[in-house]
Amino acid sequence: MRTASVVESGIQTTVQDYPGRRGMLAQGFFPAGPMDHFAHRAANLLVGNPDSAATLEITLGAFRLTLDGDAAVAVCGAEAPLAIDGEEAAIWESHEVPAGSEIALGIAPGPGFRLYLAVDGGFDVPPLFGSRATYTMGALGGFEGRPLHSGDGLPLGEPGANGAGRRLRAAARPAYSREWEIRAMRGPQAAPDFLTEADMETLFSRKWPVDRNSNRTGVRLESHRFEWARRSGGIAGGHPSNILDNSYPPGAININGDLPVILGPDGPTAGGFVVAATVVHADLWKIGQLRPVGDTVRFREISIDEAIEAERALVETLSESSVEER
Amino acid sequence: MTERTIKSMLPGTFYRRPDPQSDPYVSEGDEVKPGDVVGLVEIMKSFHEILSDAEGRVARFLVENEALVDAGQDIIALEPT
Repeated sequence: MRTASVVESGIQTTVQDYPGRRGMLAQGFFPAGPMDHFAHRAANLLVGNPDSAATLEITLGAFRLTLDGDAAVAVCGAEAPLAIDGEEAAIWESHEVPAGSEIALGIAPGPGFRLYLAVDGGFDVPPLFGSRATYTMGALGGFEGRPLHSGDGLPLGEPGANGAGRRLRAAARPAYSREWEIRAMRGPQAAPDFLTEADMETLFSRKWPVDRNSNRTGVRLESHRFEWARRSGGIAGGHPSNILDNSYPPGAININGDLPVILGPDGPTAGGFVVAATVVHADLWKIGQLRPVGDTVRFREISIDEAIEAERALVETLSESSVEER
Repeated sequence: MTERTIKSMLPGTFYRRPDPQSDPYVSEGDEVKPGDVVGLVEIMKSFHEILSDAEGRVARFLVENEALVDAGQDIIALEPT
């Protein structure tokens, strides 16, 4: 069995799989999984893995790994210097990596914040409730329920067909920016019952700065005094953002008092604040690429039909037709 | 000669002290050597140390305490000892 050894861990590197730990909301598990599902899936596609194979989610970079067996490796996500045994290598491509090689990632200067490293066969940590994803809030899943440290040894799965020498066509790669547009649908708690139409216009027009304390739990934006359609939350609490506790969807734009927070893959399953809008699944990957200092988000409202069409287009992009031989 | 600088490798909030009651890690005029902690950066609800990668004397701080810094930004200017 091949093993990958962590030499330098970066600020937060976790094992993640897609779609994460689904069907467990009632037990208090948000799905975990890659914060950028697009880059995770693209990296797997390039090395010939299914979407469900576990990759490493590397925050910002400064990460090094050695492999004790031959492998095909691809890194997708934020542009960052990648070297294999000291030789410069491109991201969004799969590479043949001989046994004993070191894979080294420098710091991503931006735009973008996270990178996904896939190895053919995937990272074969023990599944928990059907998933290898690390749930940082619950400290479970992945590798011992925690981000990786230097010295950790990760077992690799059996490789399939060799996936080296492939790259994602330029047209299939998503555009990264410091000013992001993210598509969202209104609700479940929007105007006129909870917020005013003017509030919804503010939500969908403002350039929201991303706060430094954003992480896999949620992306905090900037406080804003909304008008609100109600004077208070009634029996649910004094502030009009309060509602009786209800379940939250991943990608919820949760208004916590005056603070909008986009709930990430390790977020809370339930709570007592309104969800004014919800990021559509086809754009949910973008929250993994928001840099916590200096990036802004503008939400664009779309309909459910547009959201379904966007999802269909994304699935088509993440297919063999987007891969070319190098 | 060109002045050396110590950079933050992380984006986040820069702090000169380990906590509000403590003295700053380093002040102007102090000598630092490679590996010395010269500040903290807060990001994603956790704190990371900024280490000096050079030897020298702290000439001045290029950012204020609690300022937002980006990855690769110069934090401290060093002069030769």
